[in-house]
Parts: sequence; C-alpha cells; structure tokens
Amino acid sequence: MTNPTPAYVEGATVLLQERLTDDVYRLTVAATTGGGPGQFYMVHAWDREPLLARPISIHSVDEDTVSFLYQVRGRGTELLARLDEGGEVTLTGPLGHGFYTEELHGRVAIVTGGIGIAPVFCLASTLPPGDVTVIAGFKSTPYAVAELLTLGVDVQVATEDGCEGTRGFCTAIFDPTAFDTVVTCGPIPMMARVAQLCAEAVVPCQASLEAHMACGVGACLGCSFPTVSGNKRVCADGPVFDAAEVIWHA
Amino acid sequence: MLETNLCGVTLKNPVIAASGTFGFGAEYSQLFDVSGLGAICTKGLTLHPREGNPGLRVWETPAGMMNSIGLQNPGISVFLERELPRMRTLGTAIIANVGGGDLEEYVEGVRLVSGAEGVDIIELNISCPNVHEGGMAFGIKCDVAASVVTAVRRVCGKPLMVKLSPNAEDITAMAVACEQAGADAVSLVNTFKALAIDIHTRKPVFDNVTAGLSGPCIKPIALRMVWEVARAVHIPVVGIGGIATWQDALEFLMAGATAIQVGTATFVKPTAMLDIVDGLERYCTVEHLVTGDSPSCCNIQWRIP
Repeated sequence: MTNPTPAYVEGATVLLQERLTDDVYRLTVAATTGGGPGQFYMVHAWDREPLLARPISIHSVDEDTVSFLYQVRGRGTELLARLDEGGEVTLTGPLGHGFYTEELHGRVAIVTGGIGIAPVFCLASTLPPGDVTVIAGFKSTPYAVAELLTLGVDVQVATEDGCEGTRGFCTAIFDPTAFDTVVTCGPIPMMARVAQLCAEAVVPCQASLEAHMACGVGACLGCSFPTVSGNKRVCADGPVFDAAEVIWHA
Repeated sequence: MLETNLCGVTLKNPVIAASGTFGFGAEYSQLFDVSGLGAICTKGLTLHPREGNPGLRVWETPAGMMNSIGLQNPGISVFLERELPRMRTLGTAIIANVGGGDLEEYVEGVRLVSGAEGVDIIELNISCPNVHEGGMAFGIKCDVAASVVTAVRRVCGKPLMVKLSPNAEDITAMAVACEQAGADAVSLVNTFKALAIDIHTRKPVFDNVTAGLSGPCIKPIALRMVWEVARAVHIPVVGIGGIATWQDALEFLMAGATAIQVGTATFVKPTAMLDIVDGLERYCTVEHLVTGDSPSCCNIQWRIP
C-alpha cells in the first residue's frame, strides 16, 4: 500500500467529540489528508503548553474526516478531551508505516490491550470480515467494541476485573495456532508475550509500537526502539514492525 | 532581502535548521519546501556509526523538552555516500555537524568531511551532553576545547564553526579560546545539562541520568550568552536556544548574532523556520531597513551595545 504524503494542517475543525468511558474519547475532525491502518497523526490543540504535539493513531478515516480514539493520560490528552464540536486542532500526518495488510492472509487475529484497540477499526475495515478475530483486553469496561461487531468480525473480550468477557489478560485467551497471521497493539509487556507465543507457534506477527515522540517524522531519533537490525525509529520506520525483529526486553 | 554572509558562504537568509532536529533534511522536505531555509545542519556525525543511547530519549518539560539521543548516526562514510548526495538536491546550504569520542576521531572525521564537495561549513560539536566519552567533555574547559579546535583546524579546508556548550565553565572565555585556536565562527548554545526524575519509579527518567534541555525555556539564558560572546569575539556568532518566532530571532540578531538556528520549534510546528524568514522580511520592510545603501537587511547594524 502506498502511503499518502503527509501534510501539516492548521485549524482542522472538530466535528464530533464522544466520551466512550471515564477516560477514553473519540475525536472526529474534518481533514482530507487520509491515511492507512496503523498510521498516525501528530495532534496539537493548544497554544503554548504543553509544547509538543501528541502522536495518535488513526481510528477511522475517509475522504473528508479522520477520527482518533485516545485515552486521557496527561496534560495534552486532557486538553484534547476538552475540545468541543467546532473547535480546532492542528495535524501533521498521516505519518509512519502502518500495518502490512498485504501480508495479512487466512485467519487473522488482532490482539490488543487497552487503548491499543485504537487502530483496529481502521485495520479491520480493510480485511475480509469473516477471517478476522479481535481479542481485546481491557482493565475494566470495554470500549470501541460495538463498531467492530458492525464490521462482522468476531470479538473476544478479556477484562482484568472480570466485568465483561473472560477475567484476566487477553493473552490468556489467545491461541496463536488457531490463526495464520497475527497483529498486536497494546502495552509493551503484553505485545512481548503475544510475540513470544507467535514465535513459538511459528505464526507471523506484526506489532504496532508506541513511544514518546518529539518530531514524529523521523528527524530527531527520539523514539528509537531496538531491533535485531539496530535501532529503528518508531515514528518513521514503524510504528508497525515484524514482532520477531523487535528486541522486546532491551 | 535577508541574504547573509557566514564565513564567506552566502546563505539565502540567516535561518538555519539546528543539528539533530532535522535529520539530513529528507523527512521535513515532505512537509515543506526546505529550499527556503538559509542552511541545514546535519545530524551530529561521527567517524564511526553510533547506535545512540538506550531507554527513553525524549521528555517534555514546561516550555521545553529534554533529549538523550546520544549521537545516533550512520557514520561519516555512510553520510558522504548516501545522505550528502540527497541533501545536495534540497537547494540550501549544508553545514556538516561533526562530533567525536576522542581527539583522533574528531580529526579523522573532519578530514573526511572537509574533502567532500557540497559541504559548505563544518560545525564542530564539542557540546553534546549525552555521550560519556567526549562530546561535551571537550566543551567544558577552554584548554581542552582549544586543543581540539587547533588539531581539527590543521585538517579542515572548509569554514570551521565551533558549537559551544552552555555548560562550559566560562562561555565567553571558551569562545575566545576557540577563536584563537582558529575557529571561523562559533554557534551557541547547545542544550543545557538537566535532570528529570520519575516519582513513581523513583528513578531518573533517562538511563544516562542527565539529558539536554532545549526549547523556549532556555531562550533568555541563551540570548544572554550570545550577547556576551558577540561582544568578546571578532568572528561571526550563530545564535541558538529556544528560538520559536521571528521576534525571538530578531532578539538574537540584535544581541550580535549573524545568523540563528532553530531546533525544538520545528517539532512543534514544522514550518516555524519559514514563518521566521517571513517575519524577518516583513520587519525589514515595515521598519524601512532595506534601502539603496543596504540592500540586504542583514547588512544592517542590528546590534545592541
């Protein structure tokens, strides 16, 4: 898939701000810049503080809009959550190398932890629905699951507090031998476990990494992550990597 | 209108992308026309490739950010073979930033880069706070810095600009020592050595413990240092430190800088440097600074006493 050229866009209008749980929101903005599954935007929606834009993955995208699913974690995302319809954001994107969708064949498992579910809707929309199983783990109340069901994909949920689905981690209900290819997105320890299970079962796995970023475009080397072929930039070489290439316990 | 002479090299304008914030120019050229810049400083280069530092590498602070990249770079030969030819198509002057772990690496590195066609100026990095051996170690004491500059000068056939650390014992004495050792210009300041602690893990945020602070928060101190140095040396001074707007840039020019570099601000707004060029041009026009006698506003005596 060829990725569109990134652009810097000031004053993209907020079309919709939805609160999905206590601290998870979905922001939809008017933007024609597009992007593919697993790509992200640097998002900025404040004056001087905080300083840097925040990298947020594409939740869904069409010709006229981009939406972001995000969790409030600090000052930046807190300010994003305060935006109302008609507000404005500044975007740089789409950025990074997204999922290698051409390599996702047969029965596909998408294993996520927490807000790692953010890019899944965009990804699942591009895959044949009958072949996709999303195995999603949450601390407590799940989110962003209903819209996956509308795509016709199978969704299995695990929650740490047992409020819904199976109690425990999603990795406990994930059996790689039932799949031909696997995608994972979530906290590093969880993805490391998924990568290990896939390696043992000899099933290819793509992992979408997250990192603190400054530039987001590959210039500052602030988000590098160790791989078997040296340090790679999460923002420009990734965020999606072959899980077998990533050195998880550096 | 903003044409600037820096050590005999003509720049379109005095606005330069700072080393380590702009890669080799390719990444940002997707987002804006980088030929509108005065020059681009390359990512810090060393003779041998470096993987850089492990662990977290960037951390936001109020009005700034800290970094601990650790001079990750592909090495000078890869730069010359692969990156420099691409950079030469970008339509702006090229400043190669060269660092080193010891004196020999500096000298060998500069010798190699000095022979390369297409590099306009060499910026000698004696100020990186993020590598253990070398880097900033050469930028703290005047006599150590002078010995590096003297040795490098002998093999350097291009204009030599020395990038100074604000962590130097005495920045003015340091600049004078570099001038006497043969520097054609000085650029200042690199990042300030700083610390952040994660109160949850009760450990320093960075594996290296300390890291380099940049951004708007350092601007007033950087400006003071540029002003002091510009009054003490007779070579051009390039101002660096938290410049985000054309007003910031003007302050540095008025403090005695011949040109300025922009780093962190580009992360916040990729087109920040083009905005600075536009703002400087507008200022020159509105203030009627460009006349028949002085067709370039960089010939104007900006300088405050």
